[in-house]
Amino acid sequence: MKKLFLPILILLIFNNCYAQQTFQLAPPMLKYHSIFFQTPAMISMQFAQPDTKIFFTLNGKEPTQNDSYYNQPLEIQKSFTTLKAKVFGDGFLPSETVAITFIKDGLKIKSVQATEPNEKYPGNGAQTLFDNEGGVANSQSKNFIGYQTDSVVINVSLEKKQKITSVLLDFLRDYGSWIFLPESVRVYYFDDKKNEFQFLAEKKIVADSSQQSSATVFEILNTNKKVLSSKIKIVLKPLSFIPAWHSAKGQHGWMFIDEIKIY
Amino acid sequence: MQRRNFLKNTSLGMAALIVKPNFPFTQDTILGQGNKRYKIDTHWSQADVAKYPVNDCHEMIQDKKGRILLLTNETHNNVLIYDKKGRILDSWGHEYPGAHGLTLFDENGMEVLFICDNKRHQVIKTTIDGRVLMVLDYPKETGQYTKAEEYIPTETAITPDGDIYVADGYGKDFIMHYDASGKLINYFGGRGAEEKHLLNAHGVCLDFRNGGEPVLIVTSRQQNAFKRYTLGGEYINTISLPGAWVCRPVIKGDYLYSAVLQSNSRLWQHSGFVTILDKNYKVVSNLAGSEPTYEDGKPDEMYQTIKCFSYPHDVCIDDEENLYIAQWNSDKVYPYKLTPVI
Repeated sequence: MKKLFLPILILLIFNNCYAQQTFQLAPPMLKYHSIFFQTPAMISMQFAQPDTKIFFTLNGKEPTQNDSYYNQPLEIQKSFTTLKAKVFGDGFLPSETVAITFIKDGLKIKSVQATEPNEKYPGNGAQTLFDNEGGVANSQSKNFIGYQTDSVVINVSLEKKQKITSVLLDFLRDYGSWIFLPESVRVYYFDDKKNEFQFLAEKKIVADSSQQSSATVFEILNTNKKVLSSKIKIVLKPLSFIPAWHSAKGQHGWMFIDEIKIY
Repeated sequence: MQRRNFLKNTSLGMAALIVKPNFPFTQDTILGQGNKRYKIDTHWSQADVAKYPVNDCHEMIQDKKGRILLLTNETHNNVLIYDKKGRILDSWGHEYPGAHGLTLFDENGMEVLFICDNKRHQVIKTTIDGRVLMVLDYPKETGQYTKAEEYIPTETAITPDGDIYVADGYGKDFIMHYDASGKLINYFGGRGAEEKHLLNAHGVCLDFRNGGEPVLIVTSRQQNAFKRYTLGGEYINTISLPGAWVCRPVIKGDYLYSAVLQSNSRLWQHSGFVTILDKNYKVVSNLAGSEPTYEDGKPDEMYQTIKCFSYPHDVCIDDEENLYIAQWNSDKVYPYKLTPVI
């Protein structure tokens, strides 16, 4: 064993000095229409690099080479299923993991009225927020409506009075384009008896500097109250001061939203 | 350990090196497909960072002496001159804070350079060692510009007669056409909804490959395309390259090479690669990118597969068919060299 030590040491030194570095594979390409679905969602994956394979899980765990590998499009039926995919190949470091959660439609929404978005990012109007289109991180997409105001109010009318347990909102995070999650979300329901909106849930969000890549992010607000209503009011506060770690510190952040679900 | 054992063991170690054990970190990474495959050397540049710093490495060319010239927006030395082995031979230039485009032109036997400076809003013609010969200011005479700041030139292409085409790739996306003396003759392109319009006209070159009158190939980077025009500025057609943010087209022999700044599918995530097109503008190889495939004559979406490059910005092809890749916004990295695999 002792005799082997020196050659191994020399081998390692030589390798570190002269060998080319090992490169990492890029993440797989995922193709899907939207993360929101009514009928089952179809997802295809691509990675046109010979001698590599895409491994994936649907149970939330990190993919390994013992998991299933991709060979045909996947169908997802269960709401909040998270697909995690990662590419492996000899001679390369495995890719980063791509994780996407697919979300089924909620209670039927009749209409949405929202604060007028910024003229540059009107999306397809308030319709944008309940069209089951979204979850693709592209700020130029018509799926988003964008704001750079202090406050945004969104009124949602359901098709009928129903029990409400949670509200989901899907946002774009793209710090490079000054697009942040809102600093707070407050949700109210309309109480028919009192003939006014009542507080339902609130969430405060701190911009996380470790999340540098652009992505869509959904936030869920749950309630323990037993609420029956057909109207929900959502009050959002886009980030008023971009934090100190960002090159645009102190400026007003943008907020991009593409979907609302009521459960 | 005895000396004899040491020698024995050392030679065992050397033998192991020669047979190249199949550890992942000893394999050469081969980039690309078909007959356009390359080995990558990320340590080509021998430049001492304390003496020859770089910022963004924007463009590179090879002169007739075989030297490789790199243009960077580091005003300590805007131009670094290398030999093919990566050794620094010379440097010059302190007055190009927005050094971006670098084009070589043989003017009656004398090589001259055209530098696009997107902070100075000017195009500067110099000798190969940096003496200024001509400065082109913003093209007020087009009537399209009210001040210099609106004009952010990124690239030039020079005809055999010395006519100069300038792409205003970060400004208003017009292509300006000047005669050799710097007099504006024409302009075309610009933004709009028609096929003839451009979006991020980042590069321009002349294509002589099909004989007869050359055509202009102009980048429309945000549209992931090249667009072809006659020398008079008439739009011919579009070469669609889905997914690929192509920088300038560079033609050598039968092939067109272009750095792809990033993949559309992973914007601003260091997702660049290099693409190579044949004479018929068909993608034949993507270096560190997806194997090119076509459906009904149209290329499928392309994307980065190997993270060798961050934001590649230009390709220079030398007289031995080696490639040099300069990168923008990539931690001030020096260019990489790629050697063909035969």
